[in-house]
Amino acid sequence: MTEKLGKIADGLLSGNVEEVSNLTQELLDDGTDPEEILQKGLFAGMDVVSQKFKDCEMFIPEVLRSAKAMQGAMEKLRPKLSEASSSKAGTVVTATVQGDLHDIGKNLAGMMMEGSGFNVIDMGIDRKTEDIVNAVKENKPQILGLSALLTTTMPKMGEVINALKEAGIRDQVKVMIGGAPVTDDFAEEIGADAYAPNASIGTEKALELIKA
Amino acid sequence: MASVRTNYTINRSPRFSFLSEDQKETIFHGMLKVLQDTGADVHHEGAREIFKKHGCKIDGVRVRIPPKLVRQALQCLPLMTTIFDWEGNPRIYVEENRSYFGPGPTLVYYRDPYTLERRQCLREDATTTARVCDALNNIGFVEGLISISDVPRGTEDVYEFADMIQNTTTPIMAWAFHRGGAKDLHRIGCIMAGGEEAFKKKPNYILYSEPISPLVSDFHAIDKLMYCAEQGIPQDYSPCAIGGATVPATHAGQIVVALSESMVGVVLSQLINPGTCIILGGVQAPLDMQRAIYSYGAPELNPLCGGLTEMARYCGLPMFGTSGCTDTKTMEIQSGIEAALSIHSSMLTGANFVHDNGYTESGKTGDIFQTVMDDEIIGMARVIEDGLDVSEESLALDVINNVGSGGHYLYEDHTMKWFRKHWRPSLMDRQSYEDWDKAGRTTMKERIINKTRDILENYEGPINKVPGEVRKDIQQVVDDAVARVEREGL
Repeated sequence: MTEKLGKIADGLLSGNVEEVSNLTQELLDDGTDPEEILQKGLFAGMDVVSQKFKDCEMFIPEVLRSAKAMQGAMEKLRPKLSEASSSKAGTVVTATVQGDLHDIGKNLAGMMMEGSGFNVIDMGIDRKTEDIVNAVKENKPQILGLSALLTTTMPKMGEVINALKEAGIRDQVKVMIGGAPVTDDFAEEIGADAYAPNASIGTEKALELIKA
Repeated sequence: MASVRTNYTINRSPRFSFLSEDQKETIFHGMLKVLQDTGADVHHEGAREIFKKHGCKIDGVRVRIPPKLVRQALQCLPLMTTIFDWEGNPRIYVEENRSYFGPGPTLVYYRDPYTLERRQCLREDATTTARVCDALNNIGFVEGLISISDVPRGTEDVYEFADMIQNTTTPIMAWAFHRGGAKDLHRIGCIMAGGEEAFKKKPNYILYSEPISPLVSDFHAIDKLMYCAEQGIPQDYSPCAIGGATVPATHAGQIVVALSESMVGVVLSQLINPGTCIILGGVQAPLDMQRAIYSYGAPELNPLCGGLTEMARYCGLPMFGTSGCTDTKTMEIQSGIEAALSIHSSMLTGANFVHDNGYTESGKTGDIFQTVMDDEIIGMARVIEDGLDVSEESLALDVINNVGSGGHYLYEDHTMKWFRKHWRPSLMDRQSYEDWDKAGRTTMKERIINKTRDILENYEGPINKVPGEVRKDIQQVVDDAVARVEREGL
């Protein structure tokens, strides 16, 4: 079992999607505690990935391969996890706000978060405020990630936060915002919980937010 | 199978060109005329005898070379020469359009890597330059940047080479005071190669000497040149021509004179040993008429060196170019601007050996930090030199069709396969503000210092690969050099 957990970590490091998924299934079939697969296999592997990325030993396309492998394993694992441990790898809803068609930054952030075990539900681009609020109601994510690249669409992020308040669900979800023109000050101004200047910091902040 | 295209260039390096074919021919004829009519002083009786024997007019020390002899010499030049490291690996291909970058020789001061102050050069600086250059990926040949002040006068050349060659496998462009020192250097080169025969097969250094501008070859310069030709040692015979002072203030005039000065050595070397490797070029810059300094940061350096590079190629000769140097007294923005321009120009004109990366204070202070910065710039300039590849694989039409509109390429195998071709900085900052802030808000200057000191403190270098016996033999050469200078004087 320990050997297979080690192989999961190695498989994540080399971005071997199929191997990681198969090993996860095998371990589950062997009756291994899902929590242990998560901690000693998947998280252990992704910790190495994120350290290597920080040390400039791994690059974004490679990290995304690892994230994809992580995501595949999580699909198998998530239904088996207790509520307590699935919230450690909680749900994030992401969307680019209305009027804005940009999404590479949001996608990157989403993929990186998947790599950290989050279940990421991506609503795509140009999403109306009311649709975003409905998605929060429906999916009950721990985190809502909003993205905008244009100074003209940025205010929509504040609008979403206000709509969450009006719907009475603002305290059920942490709101994280990002995008090239977005700043810390702006996040504070519109009452967001966090601002992330890039995808990897975004993932770090998301992990902090669900711990808090 | 992909369809084959006929007569199609897949990858095209961009090239700077300053001169048209007509202009090159005109400059070439100008050089022939200067050598025939004006001639050059050669302060060496033996050399003059050789010139005389081959039909040159001798008038005192003045040698006038007929165009035919120049053309004959150019016919003898080797098409290519390979320089090896002392482990026997090919490192430098001296042939058209291959550029190698390195520091320069014999500066008065050296920037201390710890106090950062300029001071007299010490013997230990030879090791510093060699070790740092050995660790730098874009440095293709090494020169010392120093004139050592703390060894017996007249043996600086031998000490420097002895210490440097053991601390880098990157081939060295060495210098010597005169034939005695050149012989000692050659003994060291042969010891490192594993004997004289081994050196002949795999030469591991180049000897650099200089004519004096305008149109003078002093005894020792020409004597060393003759020694190298006799021994088949690859050599460089390049002047430092000073625009408006030792040569005309006009670029074409400067190039004609500089070319002529080197050509005296080229002709002689080929008369002595047809086919021996010789390089020409040198520093080509103007005199600053206000400050009376030889400006290493002048923008004119670039058309001058570029034009001379094209003339060298026209003659079938390798070019000794100049880049990465500056007029600044301390590491500052100007140092980077001047270095980047000259490195970029040299890269795109395709000079073979591009020296003086690490020259600061207008050729007074050797600064290994400048060399470390230049190494990064050279890496960036290589990306430009690499040009654009247009092929089925690089067009990636299938991948484009696959991803479609919207979406992204980050998961694509094609991206995985190619993104590593993108240049990665080792000194340039690309962090987000937040990361930069967290990492201590470093500036370029601090990163250069950190990288340099990290190499000095942690890089292993090749010194431990030099067998004890070889070290002893080299020490013997150094001891002999000290005795020689005591015996014979300077």
